[in-house]
Amino acid sequence: MTHLKTIVSVALALILIAGVLARAGMTRRWIEDIGSETSTREELRVWDWWSASTNEEYGAYFAEIERTFEAQHPNIDIIYQIVPFGNYVQKLSTAMVGDSPPDVFQSSVYWAEGFYQRGMLRPLDDLLASESDADPGNSLAKEHFLPTAWRHNHALDGTVFGIPQIIDASCLLWNLDILQEASSADEELRDLFAHFPDGSIDYDRLRFDALHDWDHFRRIVDKLTIRDDDGNIERAGFVLSAYGSGAGMFSPWLASNGGRVQDAAGTRALFASAAGVETLEFLARLYWVDRISPPFHRQMTPSELFQERKVASVTAGTWSGKDITRNSLGWTHFGKTAFPPGPSGDGPSTVTWGNMLVITRRAENVDAAWAYLKFVCGLPGSLLRSKHLGYNGPRYDFYATQRWQEALAERPYLSTVKQICLVGEKLRHTEITAVDHQANPIFESVLLHYPEIVAGDGPHESVEAALQLAARNVDNVYARYNEQVARWLTERRWRGQL
Amino acid sequence: MARTAVMASSTLLQRVTPYFYIAPAIGIACLFSFVSMGVSLWVSFQHYDAFAGGSQFVGLDNYRRALFAEDSYFWLAMRHTFAYVAMSVVGTLLSALPLALLCLRAHYGQALFRTLYFLPSITPGVVLALVFFHIFGNYGQLLDHAWSALPALALLGVWAGAGYNMVIFLAGLTEIPQLLYDAARVDGANQWQQFRHVTLPMLRNTLVFVTVMTIIGSFQVFTSVYIMTSGGPERSTEVIAYSIFLNAFSVAGQMGYASALAWLLFAVIFVFVFLQMRVFRSRRIYDE
Repeated sequence: MTHLKTIVSVALALILIAGVLARAGMTRRWIEDIGSETSTREELRVWDWWSASTNEEYGAYFAEIERTFEAQHPNIDIIYQIVPFGNYVQKLSTAMVGDSPPDVFQSSVYWAEGFYQRGMLRPLDDLLASESDADPGNSLAKEHFLPTAWRHNHALDGTVFGIPQIIDASCLLWNLDILQEASSADEELRDLFAHFPDGSIDYDRLRFDALHDWDHFRRIVDKLTIRDDDGNIERAGFVLSAYGSGAGMFSPWLASNGGRVQDAAGTRALFASAAGVETLEFLARLYWVDRISPPFHRQMTPSELFQERKVASVTAGTWSGKDITRNSLGWTHFGKTAFPPGPSGDGPSTVTWGNMLVITRRAENVDAAWAYLKFVCGLPGSLLRSKHLGYNGPRYDFYATQRWQEALAERPYLSTVKQICLVGEKLRHTEITAVDHQANPIFESVLLHYPEIVAGDGPHESVEAALQLAARNVDNVYARYNEQVARWLTERRWRGQL
Repeated sequence: MARTAVMASSTLLQRVTPYFYIAPAIGIACLFSFVSMGVSLWVSFQHYDAFAGGSQFVGLDNYRRALFAEDSYFWLAMRHTFAYVAMSVVGTLLSALPLALLCLRAHYGQALFRTLYFLPSITPGVVLALVFFHIFGNYGQLLDHAWSALPALALLGVWAGAGYNMVIFLAGLTEIPQLLYDAARVDGANQWQQFRHVTLPMLRNTLVFVTVMTIIGSFQVFTSVYIMTSGGPERSTEVIAYSIFLNAFSVAGQMGYASALAWLLFAVIFVFVFLQMRVFRSRRIYDE
């Protein structure tokens, strides 16, 4: 009897383990191999951080990419490996040391330049030069991409190391329910909306150039702010975040004021300029003087406040619409604008970036990798990203498709996205994490202690002094990084890679 | 003669056999602890980048930068780490020992209390950090201010470790012979005097153990900082382990510098623990 119990227990345990392994997909390859002849398909290992565990739509997207691509290329077997964004660099580093890097991976603009300078990425110029595809939808030539998308994917000498698969920009996101309600008695607010051809107001769409300048923005968000009798904010017109997001929040406003965070070569911080001081003071004054933002609070992020409809506008990314709709259970009544020009600015602006697909230098099957890039970064891939993920595309031809027209009809908030993506400055691109580590605490202290700084009693002598300190520290990061790049170049020359 | 040889070889086998038993554990420890520590020491004297693969010997440059460079946050991080360690040690001793004393007095449900208090110790640190991120956010906004963020993290550390340390203290308390308390009572000692003159001296070894382990663990605090504050606000929670991580994995080519920081941390912990062990050298109190 005891013997029987043991056998049953062991059998149940084995069934449980087998079930877990099967459900986790760990036996997929083994099951696929059963009954099939020895596979002659070439494996293409692809890394990405878009994970079905965080958003099931990514799962559907990759499934359709894999299905369609493998049907077109029966000799290639795509193997996806999803790595969390936060661990990406760490895991890649381990994979490189272990000599098992992926063949292709999505690279954020955060890392792409550094990866190339380390010699990790295969230059793509020869593959681009040999392009002879008759179908322009499959062509990855530069002229098919928005110029703002084709900015982070090449070195200063023009060497291309990645093909953009998305185009993103920072933007201002507006709650159209709040705007529409407030505009019923306010001409200036009504003027933010687009118009139908018959001249009537289209309350689902904002004009791209709705905001004239910073003063106009300040006036608008002040009108949208509701305060109680004691002056406490019940609904904020805009939300500012002090914690950790300093340089990220500052850079699109700086761009709209004609400034830049860094030089193109990544050797010098440029934000401690008059335009930079003006920008940081504008943001600090929005909070402390105009009081249009809820109190700084680490726990509640601006996007959470926006999704809970507690604020009328927020800084976000052009990519964020689908996520907001999902998190708010179907809400789509919001609109997007670029950042209005500041006193030193010249028209609406922002910062843009185009994350890309890259091929590692150690990729064994370059032809298969290039075929994958052509599919995913070509028009078919853009259409699938629009279908599953609601993204706009980095290619010109994408905006001429029926799919894009359908997307605009389904989600009117996309109506300004292409224009926003076209006006931006290039997002900072050199050693972003290290730069943030140096600069963010200083931005943070300016935003948290602005009144004390103005009174001469703060942690910095002035806003200008704070920015100069941040710039000095960032310059040190760049100097150290460029010394490192020089060492990498020497190393690569020595290895005969250059 | 032959019999002597057989006996000798049998004795030799008996002596050697235990080493075979511990060989796998020693091998694993060597491979994953000592070898990697050796590699990290070597890396701390190099400019090294895992991606590029190459390295360049730079002597003590990384150590010099950590200790003396204008933009180094080593000393700031160490200051925060020491403050965290101090708060953790005091907090642990003031929470775990009373809990153990209370648990010992519980006539009913001692196992239940022990289990309940121990639960945080088996909960993943990331989960605790996320839960406390919201607790501290909703009550008092402790993570929003430079003056309160580090104590808030220490509070989480103390809370998370209190159950584990309570069990250690409980084990120490149950080892104290009842005879000593009986004798103290006969001599007219009140509760406080029993605690002061019997419990505390008899718990000396346990106290040293808990303090040493808390110090070592606190010097390495990372998860709560990474999840809850990212070193902010205004660098007020930037501790040394977080600095090491940031330089190793988020800044290009700084693995050597990060390794140097790690070895500096090792040196500090080593000195601390060594001094503590010397001062509180283990001894049997009632033999004195």
